[in-house]
Amino acid sequence: MTKSACCGCTYSTKKVNNSHVLAGLRQWIDPEKTPTVGRTPDYRFSLANERTFLAWIRTGLALIAGGLGVAQFLPPLPIAHLREIMAIVLLVLGGLVALRAVDHWARTERAMRLGQELPGSKFPAVLAVTVALGAVAMIVAVVVQAVE
Amino acid sequence: MSVEWTPDHGAAAERTRFAWRRTALSAAVVGLLAARPAFHPDAGVVQWITAALSSLGWSFLVAIAYRRARALRQHPPHPGRRTIPAYALITVALAVLASLVVML
Repeated sequence: MTKSACCGCTYSTKKVNNSHVLAGLRQWIDPEKTPTVGRTPDYRFSLANERTFLAWIRTGLALIAGGLGVAQFLPPLPIAHLREIMAIVLLVLGGLVALRAVDHWARTERAMRLGQELPGSKFPAVLAVTVALGAVAMIVAVVVQAVE
Repeated sequence: MSVEWTPDHGAAAERTRFAWRRTALSAAVVGLLAARPAFHPDAGVVQWITAALSSLGWSFLVAIAYRRARALRQHPPHPGRRTIPAYALITVALAVLASLVVML
């Protein structure tokens, strides 16, 4: 492992001993075990990636808290189990956000090591559309109740 | 230890530390809401167990965030490794537990 300075940043370069890194699960459960590819990026980039991960985790935690809140504070709804279904949908969404957060973190870390383009993602758009649809459904429900 | 490293003018380490703190606080909301049914007058063993498990998950999330925030004080800060998947998996476990709380 050699240290080299480049454009004011310190990099430690590591020999790429395996270009075919097992993607997915193993990479994010134990990134140390998987062959470390490429060079260690500037620590500030890694920390930025970490903060993005944390922001997603907070989003996930907020969805989970929302699911629990729906189940605990909403009165029973006219449609049977609708309250529980809404809660479960929010909880599943929260879990998905957390899983996707760690996957995206691992893929970004890898891309930074290899000097590749950072991975793009459709997930924020999908989540935004899902939340917007949920909000529209809520508006319709409130309006219908007000009219009746 | 005189490892050459880039000065942290953007306060990257500090901002990351605060991000961990914020996340631990968000975890508190989930931990408390998941434990809430145990304080209901006719709460049973199931509610106590789920409350105990959610408190355990919450304390893990707080402990990990605290440890990581402390580790970020050193220069140069090391990027997070196993902490991050562990944090995500505990969050997922809390989501699963919360589903049980809702359904039981």
